[in-house]
Amino acid sequence: MNSKIQTDIEELVAQRVISVDVASDIERYYSSKKSDAPNRLFTVFAVLGSTLVGLGIILILAHNWDDFSRSIKTIFAFAPLVIGQLIIGFSILKKKSATWLEGSGVFLFFAVGASMALVSQIYNIPGNFSSYLLTWILLCLPLVYLLKSNALAILHIAFTTSYACSFGYFDGNDTPWFYLLLLVLVLPYYYQLLKQKKEHNITSVFNWLVPLSVIIVLGAFVERSATLGFLMYVILFGLLYNIGKLPYFDNQKLRRNGYLILGSLGTVCMLLITSFEWLWNDILRDNFLFNSQEFYVVLVLLILTLGVLGYTYFKKWIEGFNLFQYVFILFTIIFFIGWSNSFTSLVLINLLILALGVIAIKIGADKFHFGVLNYGLLIITALIVCRFFDTDMSFVVRGLLFVSVGVGFFLTNYIMLKKQKLNSNNKK
Amino acid sequence: MKTINIFILFIVVAMAQLFVPAQMIFNKESIIKSGVAYKFKTQPVDPSDPFRGKYINLNYELNAFVTNDSVWERHDKVYVYLESDSLGFAKVNDISKRPLNLAKDHIIADVNWYNSNDKKLNFNLPFNRYYMEETKAYDAEVAVRQNERDSLPNTTYALVYVKDGEAVLNDVVINEISIKDYVEKDD
Repeated sequence: MNSKIQTDIEELVAQRVISVDVASDIERYYSSKKSDAPNRLFTVFAVLGSTLVGLGIILILAHNWDDFSRSIKTIFAFAPLVIGQLIIGFSILKKKSATWLEGSGVFLFFAVGASMALVSQIYNIPGNFSSYLLTWILLCLPLVYLLKSNALAILHIAFTTSYACSFGYFDGNDTPWFYLLLLVLVLPYYYQLLKQKKEHNITSVFNWLVPLSVIIVLGAFVERSATLGFLMYVILFGLLYNIGKLPYFDNQKLRRNGYLILGSLGTVCMLLITSFEWLWNDILRDNFLFNSQEFYVVLVLLILTLGVLGYTYFKKWIEGFNLFQYVFILFTIIFFIGWSNSFTSLVLINLLILALGVIAIKIGADKFHFGVLNYGLLIITALIVCRFFDTDMSFVVRGLLFVSVGVGFFLTNYIMLKKQKLNSNNKK
Repeated sequence: MKTINIFILFIVVAMAQLFVPAQMIFNKESIIKSGVAYKFKTQPVDPSDPFRGKYINLNYELNAFVTNDSVWERHDKVYVYLESDSLGFAKVNDISKRPLNLAKDHIIADVNWYNSNDKKLNFNLPFNRYYMEETKAYDAEVAVRQNERDSLPNTTYALVYVKDGEAVLNDVVINEISIKDYVEKDD
């Protein structure tokens, strides 16, 4: 049991607020609730331990021991792999706990990588880094499902992302189509988590990890037209936000909803970036390619996002108007207007950011959520800071703007705090 | 799912995990046993790889061939047919986009770029990594540079076995001594 609760209970008993019987009842309740906690902690340590041991083995083998003959090196290449497999086989047959499966699964994951790395060393196989990662990931994917291992699923997503980055950004300018396949292959596991373990912390880890991975990799799908990359990202953030707005995610705590937070932050960041004039001047210089890979990616993302939005609308899940959900449509229109008239687009984007800030403040005020309220104020502040760089305002006007935003921060928070106190007093 | 079914599926996965490195080994061993050995003149430099350790990157002297075919894209495959010159070093007999019916060994290289001025196709040979013990990789690069200064012409070469289009880089040799031993001799 939490030591803070323990001291609180002791204090309450000492002050005669509760009786000794009630205190022991409370203690019993907490200890029954937390019965599985040490087990969970042990799992985390098992996974961490196996990760460190596995990585350590890879590093030791990477020394390239010259003094050993080829056949001894080969035995070293297979030893960790076989040991890992034996432990897992034993764990499956003896129906060992999840801790065993998680720990040994992670060990085997790294053993597979180590053994392939060592064989590459022995025979000087050049093979680029991304193809090595791809083979490694594919060989370990079935373990995610066989062992029902969260740690392996997390490793799968992390390594898949790393593969896509190395293939798409570093090894050359190719599109990592395999990334999509690898991600789709782990989705059934994620879906099961969402269905069966909605309230578990591990599910919220995935709620952050999956959108983050997609955000990191999307840029690798840009082949030639970097211009369309901006549009791609705005639509992706729109998609994430709209997924985050589905009641399943929206009804959970905000910190569990990576889709909503990343979608919202991403949208605002992209709009702030595109609110600079020099960017539009560069974009306009670029030729627009309708028959390009980027255009098709934009199209697919747009259809997906409209699909999610339409579904939400069809199910009557939309309560009131929330501009954040429609930004991607507005931006797409503004983006194409910018082709003929960049000035109009710039004005519209600035207005859009201002509107988003105001709406975030309103949402925060309605929900009595200080975080959202101040997020709205931050959006407006960021907009003002950005405009400092490319407008010729006098210093007095800039100063006044800053003072007024500062006062706004203070006032809105103060008013809301007062309202909240009033509400709680009324309730009493 | 029943435990026994999970176990059987796991055995299948485990076999695949064992098969991939084993197959890599058998394939390379067969090339070393029954392939033909070629010597490629080379220059090493030393980078490293996060998982596989230190290696020296080999820049080969043999990296271009004159051809009239000018339509090449970067990273295209090119079939390079080999023969040995009078000193026993590898040289190109012919190159082609498709396999040719020649009684020569070939390797599949990666197109770098086509120089239309001197009509040369530049390519990268597929065995440009030689893994070394981490303390020796940098010394090896230095040793080769020193050797180049002392002796002309270049006497550093890679010993490569070639069979059915596949190649295994077996050793890098300086003045007829394996680079591993050469570095130790320097200490």
